[in-house]
Amino acid sequence: MNLIERLSHLDRRVIFLLVAFAVVIPMLQPIGLPIDITKPVKKVYDKIESLAPGSIVLLSTDFDPGSEAELYPATEAIIEHCFRKNLKIYVMGLWPAGSDLGNLALNKIAPRYNKNYGTDYINVGYRPGGAVMLLSLGKNFGDIIKVDYQGTPIDLLELGRAVKSSKNLGLVMTLSAGDPGILHWIIYFHARYGVPICGATTAIMAPQQYTYLGSGQLVGLLGGLKGAAEYEVLVNRKGRASIGMDSQSIVHVLLVIFILLGNIILLHQKGKR
Amino acid sequence: MIFQTIGIWIAALLTLAIYSFLYKDNPFYKIAEYIFVGVSAGYWAVVLWFDFAWPNLFAPLIKQQNFFYLLPIIIGLMMFAPLIPKISWLVRIPLTFTMGVAMALQITQITQGDIFPQLQATFLPFKGVNVYTSITNLIIVIGVITTLIYFYFSKEHKGPLGLAAKIGIWFMMVSFGASFGYTVMARISLFIGRVYFLLHEWLRAI
Repeated sequence: MNLIERLSHLDRRVIFLLVAFAVVIPMLQPIGLPIDITKPVKKVYDKIESLAPGSIVLLSTDFDPGSEAELYPATEAIIEHCFRKNLKIYVMGLWPAGSDLGNLALNKIAPRYNKNYGTDYINVGYRPGGAVMLLSLGKNFGDIIKVDYQGTPIDLLELGRAVKSSKNLGLVMTLSAGDPGILHWIIYFHARYGVPICGATTAIMAPQQYTYLGSGQLVGLLGGLKGAAEYEVLVNRKGRASIGMDSQSIVHVLLVIFILLGNIILLHQKGKR
Repeated sequence: MIFQTIGIWIAALLTLAIYSFLYKDNPFYKIAEYIFVGVSAGYWAVVLWFDFAWPNLFAPLIKQQNFFYLLPIIIGLMMFAPLIPKISWLVRIPLTFTMGVAMALQITQITQGDIFPQLQATFLPFKGVNVYTSITNLIIVIGVITTLIYFYFSKEHKGPLGLAAKIGIWFMMVSFGASFGYTVMARISLFIGRVYFLLHEWLRAI
């Protein structure tokens, strides 16, 4: 049996093991492969940089623990950038667990910048209703949001009182893992009220968003863990996304080798027939 | 602190139990799978009650004595009408209502927020821009037109129409390839996230 025939009968568990090694080893012994900044990510950074101090960013955490690996690093990086720029953050979630994940990041980063709940940031929790809710929200926040995530009346919070309608927002940043999510913000909120939208999505969703980047409906985009890693580089932050990029690159090379090998084996078998 | 440690151990062991399926199906995987299904069902039951039903329906009805809210309850209950054959026709009322609202929303907003801006984005200049932009714009326009031609089924795809449809297929293939690449990247990212959790939070190796 020659090498190609042996490879064609390779146990798939060997491939799983190789992928596991390709992920674990670079994490234990980082190589430090370069992370290039792409245009859509730079546009998100530039947009946040262009906002005047005190502007309000609505951070919509539209994801859950299933996509935490891809979107949580972006959440931390964006919050850190906003606080550095002295922007105010208004967190809400179109997914039930989203606002809790937003809280996790806020509680970690806010103390570092001496930011206070109620004045510098608030979390109004999970807001169900998708498209219908977003259409009403832009007109009058008071119709939809009466209390924050802890049940505190929104009028008792300084930032809660400051946001009456979409006109008070400088930017909507959605961290989106599906439906409802980024498309709702673009099609329903941006189209009706004109507030600029930036997004961070799971890698699976990223290709679909390029049409909206091209049309200008979306200002910028962080696609998957790679997008988050690029953002961490821009804000000079060594986070989870950057740590994972060596593994990501090596596994991609490994997968390309597997695809090439698979095709060589296929051609060989066809030739024999 | 102790609860956090217990939580990390449970999460780590469940992660390993799920990944053990890659070797072969086993009882540890089954236990983790059943726990996940049970916890998810419980979680959604709580969310549906406390975030949907109670604040939007039952709280205004019971606390504020707003009896207008009986109407959505009655319409909602009609969804169960097919369980009783004699009054099964009642299900048409909530379905019609839901379809009407959804159609109104979709038609106005999809047109305003999706179709028109996307169409507008394909009206691109070839003159008065640099060569790179001009070529990019040309590719976008050809891509849109040829892909649309592929989905034109009223005439047989022969001659120039067939050629255009074939070019459309190539554009779609490139798009599918990009989507597949991103999908692979997403799956590896999720695995990286789990490995990071095991090495950082659980084993404290990094």
